Amino acid sequence: MIEARALTKRYGEVLAVNSVSFKVERGEVVGFLGPNGAGKTTTMRMLTGFVPPTDGSASIAGHDIFEDPLAARRSVGYLPETPPLYPEMTVTSYLRYVAAIKDVPRARRREAIDRALERCALTQVRGRVIGTLSKGFRQRVGLAQAIVHDPPVLILDEPTVGLDPVQIGEIRGLIRDLASGSGDSQHTVVLSTHIMAEVSAICRRVILINEGHKRVDASLDDLAREGRSLESLFARETGSETPVEAAR
Amino acid sequence: MRHVPTVAMRELRSLFVSPVAYVVLSLFCVLAGLFFVIGVAAFDTWVRQLMQFQAFDQLQELNLNDQLVSNFYDTMSVILLILTPAVTMGLFAAEKTNGTQELLLTSPLTIWDIVLGKYLGAALFVALLVLLVAAFPMLLFLYGDPEIGKTVSGLIGLLLVGWTYTAMGCFASSLTRSQIVSFLITLVLLLTLLLLPAISDLGVVGDAEGLGRTLRWLSTGEHFQQLLKGLVDTADLAYFAVIIGSMLLLTKAAVESVRWR
Repeated sequence: MIEARALTKRYGEVLAVNSVSFKVERGEVVGFLGPNGAGKTTTMRMLTGFVPPTDGSASIAGHDIFEDPLAARRSVGYLPETPPLYPEMTVTSYLRYVAAIKDVPRARRREAIDRALERCALTQVRGRVIGTLSKGFRQRVGLAQAIVHDPPVLILDEPTVGLDPVQIGEIRGLIRDLASGSGDSQHTVVLSTHIMAEVSAICRRVILINEGHKRVDASLDDLAREGRSLESLFARETGSETPVEAAR
Repeated sequence: MRHVPTVAMRELRSLFVSPVAYVVLSLFCVLAGLFFVIGVAAFDTWVRQLMQFQAFDQLQELNLNDQLVSNFYDTMSVILLILTPAVTMGLFAAEKTNGTQELLLTSPLTIWDIVLGKYLGAALFVALLVLLVAAFPMLLFLYGDPEIGKTVSGLIGLLLVGWTYTAMGCFASSLTRSQIVSFLITLVLLLTLLLLPAISDLGVVGDAEGLGRTLRWLSTGEHFQQLLKGLVDTADLAYFAVIIGSMLLLTKAAVESVRWR
């Protein structure tokens, strides 16, 4: 579903992402793990078409991001680190706008919006103005925005950051649901985080990035079989002394 | 280009749920009413004085359009110069502070969808302001006998001036993430535009043939005056098209520049 081929991003002298390649198959939930500033957000921005890679390429659901950028962007639902919300709009009118610019056919918009509202448990606040919602609800509106056009691929940048434990549980449950659907409703999810517990809670595979390089790409089952823990892996790859500290 | 109306409608609706639209509309109505009444009163005094002095030749030549309507339009163009930046300041700057720029640029939209949509949204709002201005000369048709041609061509001029200001504001907003900075850049740009003929008159930029003439041509006022006189010339209309077009091209480049960095 996602194929990154030697993605590289250079900001002037700074090499933010250095030749990162990986493949994600349909229905996989992959955790992008790494310390802050490792290049997670930049990699995601390249996949979603927000910034073009300096070198390398990628394809989303078979559409190359350079050759067919509109089709590639149509296949992605993207939740940036800060949810892209218009505070003055109501939840429903915001989702109606997003559905329109994401090319959901007019006849199917109402249904698509209702489904997104329901999946993100937003039905009771659908008429509320976004600016008056709590942070947890806003994050869910951000997630609803990402799934409203039912894209095969979801890219979520730190989806649980800044939420309380109950809200974190809810969002994680929702992401698991999105990936476990069958057939067309099954989403491929890539999410970034610097919290290891999050990876073990939702993902089946982890890609560890540090200083722009891909360090580890392994399934959690394999890691468990080899008797290695995420914490020790993280500590070794990022060179941090106290893995428990790094986990927080 | 399919998404231009979608983007435009969102922009327009956002203006109307924020206080900006209502503040601009009410200020504009108050000022328009004030200047119109002052204009009518001044015209009235002038007519009375001429009658007192029995200056029948001058009374004969007195023209409602030149004495009242054109001046009124001219004043309103200055009011637009101050209020248009308030309408356009948020167009792109707010997208950056909301983080919604990321939504727009990762959606299957072209840059032109975004730029033209936003311009159209603000341009429709400015058209509404000009429509309010139109209500005042309509009153004159009830009590007097203004020339319809001149009244309409002046109104078209005012609309084009407003749309030119909007395009400049659009560009300024695409340069920054601060709405206040965007407002100030637009205001300074527009004031400079207003002062261009004066700069050219200073004579420091050379004779009337070279740079001076170019500066005059660049000034919105020069072309607006022609339309106020009732002269609808393609050269003047082309001026507005050229300025709006180049401003939108610059805006497109500025929006796209996120991708170059």
